[in-house]
Amino acid sequence: ESTPGIFRSEEVCLSQLFLQSEAAYTCVAELGELGLVQFRDLNPDTSSFQRKFVSEVRRCDEMERKLRFLEREIKKDQIPMLDTGENPDAPQPREMIDLEATFEKLENELREVNQNEETLKKNFSELTELKHILRKTQTFFEEIHKQRDGPVTARASASTSSTHDREPLINVEDEVHVPGELFRQIFGYGRLTLGSYRRTGGGDSMQGAAGPGDVIIADPAADAETMELTGGGGAGGGSMFANFGFVAGVIQRERIPAFERLLWRACRGNVFLRHSEIDDVLNDTATGEPINKSVFIIFFQGDQLKTRVKKICEGFRATLYPCPDTPAERREMSIGVMTRIEDLKTVLGQTQDHRHRVLVAAAKNVRMWLTKVRKIKSIYHTLNLFNIDVTQKCLIAECWCPVDALDKIRMALKRGTVSGLQEESGSTVPSILNRMDTTEAPPTYNKSNKYTIGFQNIVDAYGIATYREINPAIYTMISFPFLFAVMFGDMGHGTVMMLAALFLILKERQLEAARIRDEIFQMFFSGRYVIFLMGAFSIYTGFIYNDVFSKSLNIFGSSWRNTIPPAELEKHYEFPETPLMLLPENYTQASPYPFGVDPVWNLAEANKLSFLNSMKMKSSVILGIGQMTFGLILSYFNHKYFHSDLDIKFMFIPQMLFLSCIFIYLCLQIITKWLLYSAVGGTVLGYEYPGSSCAPSLLIGLINMFMMKSREAGFVGEDGKVSWGCSNNLWYPGQSFFETVFVLIAIACIPVMLFAKPYFLWKADKERRESGGHMQMSTAEMVLVIVAVVQIPIMLFVKPLLLWRRNKKETATRESVRADMNGGDSEAEVVHHEPKTNGGGGGHGHGDGPVSTVGGEGKGAQFDMGDVMVYQAIHTIEFALGCISHTASYLRLWALSLAHAQLSDVLWTMVFRNAFAQDGYVGAIVTYLLFFAFFFLSISILVLMEGLSAFLHALRLHWVEFQSKFYGGQGYAFAPFSFERILEAEREAEEA
Amino acid sequence: MAEFFFNIDHGYLEALVRGFKGGILTQADYANLVQCETLEDLKLHIQSTDYGNFLANEPGAITVQVIDERLKEKLVTEFTHIRNNALEPLATFLDYITYSYMIDNIILLITGTLHQRPISELISKCHPLGSFEQMEAIHIASTPAELYNAVLVDTPLANYFVDCINEQDLDEMNVELIRNTLYKAYLEDFYGFCKQLGGTTAEVMCEILAFEADRRSIIITINSFDTELSKDDREKLYPRCGKLYPEGLAGLARADDYDQVKQVCEYYSDYKALFEGSGNAAGEKTLEDKFFEHEQVKLNVHSYLHQFHFGVFYAFIKLKEQEMRNIIWIAECISQRHRTKIDNYIPIL
Repeated sequence: ESTPGIFRSEEVCLSQLFLQSEAAYTCVAELGELGLVQFRDLNPDTSSFQRKFVSEVRRCDEMERKLRFLEREIKKDQIPMLDTGENPDAPQPREMIDLEATFEKLENELREVNQNEETLKKNFSELTELKHILRKTQTFFEEIHKQRDGPVTARASASTSSTHDREPLINVEDEVHVPGELFRQIFGYGRLTLGSYRRTGGGDSMQGAAGPGDVIIADPAADAETMELTGGGGAGGGSMFANFGFVAGVIQRERIPAFERLLWRACRGNVFLRHSEIDDVLNDTATGEPINKSVFIIFFQGDQLKTRVKKICEGFRATLYPCPDTPAERREMSIGVMTRIEDLKTVLGQTQDHRHRVLVAAAKNVRMWLTKVRKIKSIYHTLNLFNIDVTQKCLIAECWCPVDALDKIRMALKRGTVSGLQEESGSTVPSILNRMDTTEAPPTYNKSNKYTIGFQNIVDAYGIATYREINPAIYTMISFPFLFAVMFGDMGHGTVMMLAALFLILKERQLEAARIRDEIFQMFFSGRYVIFLMGAFSIYTGFIYNDVFSKSLNIFGSSWRNTIPPAELEKHYEFPETPLMLLPENYTQASPYPFGVDPVWNLAEANKLSFLNSMKMKSSVILGIGQMTFGLILSYFNHKYFHSDLDIKFMFIPQMLFLSCIFIYLCLQIITKWLLYSAVGGTVLGYEYPGSSCAPSLLIGLINMFMMKSREAGFVGEDGKVSWGCSNNLWYPGQSFFETVFVLIAIACIPVMLFAKPYFLWKADKERRESGGHMQMSTAEMVLVIVAVVQIPIMLFVKPLLLWRRNKKETATRESVRADMNGGDSEAEVVHHEPKTNGGGGGHGHGDGPVSTVGGEGKGAQFDMGDVMVYQAIHTIEFALGCISHTASYLRLWALSLAHAQLSDVLWTMVFRNAFAQDGYVGAIVTYLLFFAFFFLSISILVLMEGLSAFLHALRLHWVEFQSKFYGGQGYAFAPFSFERILEAEREAEEA
Repeated sequence: MAEFFFNIDHGYLEALVRGFKGGILTQADYANLVQCETLEDLKLHIQSTDYGNFLANEPGAITVQVIDERLKEKLVTEFTHIRNNALEPLATFLDYITYSYMIDNIILLITGTLHQRPISELISKCHPLGSFEQMEAIHIASTPAELYNAVLVDTPLANYFVDCINEQDLDEMNVELIRNTLYKAYLEDFYGFCKQLGGTTAEVMCEILAFEADRRSIIITINSFDTELSKDDREKLYPRCGKLYPEGLAGLARADDYDQVKQVCEYYSDYKALFEGSGNAAGEKTLEDKFFEHEQVKLNVHSYLHQFHFGVFYAFIKLKEQEMRNIIWIAECISQRHRTKIDNYIPIL
């Protein structure tokens, strides 16, 4: 009964836990460390915020938020976080309060520091901005001043040329108001210089700013007035601005164009803006992100314009700063600002030091704290699943746990109770674990380790095993890499693959610690053991195929000898037209090549492929039927384990008979033919065997077997002549009898598979109901279903049978091809019919024997004949047709192996071999270069691409051809409450 | 033909938006939300929905204000992502969606300025989808002409504003007129744009926009009774792209009271149904609610039944907006302990 864990999933039982409310927390903590218990939600109808421990969960959320905040701050300062990966115990509930207090304190401290820092930084950036303003305005004022001192020459030289520039602008602006003229007076020189800048294409940042100004001053009547003013007001630039108001400020650089445009529009061109970029990158005080800013200065006249300008500045989030009028004041202010900046720098430095110290201290613990908080949170989440006893004295939990681990769980509970009750003296009632009976299917729990997990994943990807059914993973461990290798067989490529996997295996600790999140890498890494085995098996099959990068190894010395005498060869040189035949009959003495394929086949260009194809095809069929038979045998163990006599008698036995009568018989024929029929004639199985031309044809033989065709016995007729088409003749005594019997048995199996089980189920149900139940299905329905189901074998067999009879009457020719056509016909019909029956079946899918019986009997509620019948019909058709199509499907082993061999051959002849055609130094260089091409293509196409395709085909062979014979896959995975899993999941979510 | 090439340019975004739409709260979620006792409960429940941890990093107590901000922020993030990845003509289509928010923002700012509220306070109330660069400088304008010349002329709304330019002062009546004129121009423009896109987009969007236009006409008419708005002025505000155009609108223009409006709408089967069973009595849904429901359930949700068109983007924004209104409504009811009307949200789907 209790098979070792690896063959079936662990036995899991439903248990009830009674936990003292004081000890519940610690008990769950212990169970979380153990990670072997899956809790069930006992209050599924209660929404998440109405549960008992919701406030604790909320507190944990809050703590997590604080920790995230801390972590963010730590990352911002680029302080390394200590992550030893240590696993602290879940803290006691009272420790939670301490933790909360610690975090609260830390957060407050940090927030305070941050706030201080922010204010300081804000001050600092304001001062810096002010500094820049003062500096820029200074240069700006100075510029004007300079031009005022020596204006005449500049103007005289520039005015002639610049009038051309101005010409088109003259009529643009008619609404030049008085202030405009005043600007012109002030900035007249500035414009000229700017004009010349423009001509030389100078990239001064001021150039753009001159846009609006340029238009205003485009007045031809400028000169006289300017002269006046220059004459009068030579005292200095600063005093000039007494007439105007101006504001200076700082604005984000990218907002300048819009700002400028709006200013221009809103003030009808009556303001003048100049701006200049601040070269230093400033930091945004709130977010700390770097931003580029510009200094601007706006001149205007009148209070109305002033309010308007200020409003616009406000609208564009520009900060305005006071800026004194005279240079002296500005200088003074500038000095003051500089000293204040220096002061601030020291204060800021101290604040940052303080912050840094706080963070460094926190960084040591933050990961550990996070682990602790997550543990607490998961414990309360689990406690929320529990039922609370009315007396409030204990919590009741229901859980699935492996029977093997019950003792461990009891121990954990004991530990939890002891530590939980330490302080609450008095009550020492132990926690109780009670096994419960249930009709519900327990979860499937397959133990796995790092080696088996890869294969278990391959199986689970198809569907989680039904509870306690045979776990195919253990067989997959060998059969999967082997079938892969049959398709991939090449020693060279296998070695590459194995070494790559070996590297991953040897470096597995470092690689795991590196936590590389790349999906493709993860795929290879988690499958490293699978890949390793695939590589190793490929070396083995490559050895059998005698294939290394499409070349052969002559290890044992080829057994082939030249059978043509040297004299005849000499003659051949003289008369090349006379063909030379290497007849196998002539070649008798030596033994075959000891292991695998004789290397000489690699040189046999004409018939290498036909030899390898025949060999690989036949071995594919043998391997395939072997695996299917094995799958069928596993189904027997499943039926036996689930005590389903009915399934053994009416499912397994007819299926096995069907398979052996047709397909295992075929395999035996293949092997017999290999063993007994050689090139040389003789007496084989009591018949005279003339030679290889008469070796029995297995394919035609199989078709004839179904056709029950009468054939001649033996290869040689009574007259001693070899009969025509001798390969189709009967080749052992009693063959036609045996074959007829086999076919009849196989056909007889079909109705047994189809009707026996439903009939017995129906009978049993009827007996159960005899006492007084009502029939679920009306008689009419019943009749219809049976009529419909009877159609299937009729459709399958009647037409071929009639055709066969007519055929037999009409002619006795050896045409056997038609059988094939008929076979195809009937198959097509069934395929057409299948969807109809499928529709009735509804969602049974791939479910296998154990599922239906366990499900049907377990629930024991209602017996639906229609359902059972339809399900059975689908299953029978699937099996009978499946045997044929699956056998054919295994031929992919041959096809892929052929493709692989051919591709690597092409790569060798088309790429690398060219290198050897060259001689001397050129040859060396070409070899060197072509090697890389060859190597790169080998890796990318043959190892990676072909490997992937062979992998997928192997996957398919296991999922469809192998597992469909016995695997239900209707279970659900065991998901224990485990800190390890929870923390890992959180971690992954964090990294994503 | 357009269907064949739709996915090349817009397939990713359509898939994305359909995914977003899958995260819209269901009836069951609402049923849970209304059970919440405090905003903390609400936060806890909303964590289990598609909103996820959007409130997880909020220090201190949750307020309705914070929820509203975060909801908007999430919508804006999603919208910006879509907008940034959009190719023409989807990009323009998405821009059109934001125009209506821009109109709302402008009106909000002007009204706020009229009432002497500080601009910073007003800015925080603006919908982030409709923000534009010059927005904050709106308060410098005192007449529509100034508003147009100084501020709006650079925005995409400039074309819509041309009809509103006059030298009158901005007072409340005028602001309302501006809003409706802008909306009218906007809807007609958007309608024309969708029509010109053709295909399924035109089919779906014109239906939605036509309804929106008619809804506005009807609401304007009903709200204009007993105000100083003249019938001529009123008629100028009707968007002329709905099903009511032209006969229905002419009827509405002549209407003097609610019953006459109802009478006009009797001729249109869609609107007839909406007028029936609406009213202000307890237990009855107001006409506005009815309109909303029709827009949500009938039009926006149904737009997801078609494929290869832009309507899903519009519908997503509108549905999400309705959902935000619902959440805020529920949150307000919870925080004000005013539970009697908590069920007055409009469920989607």
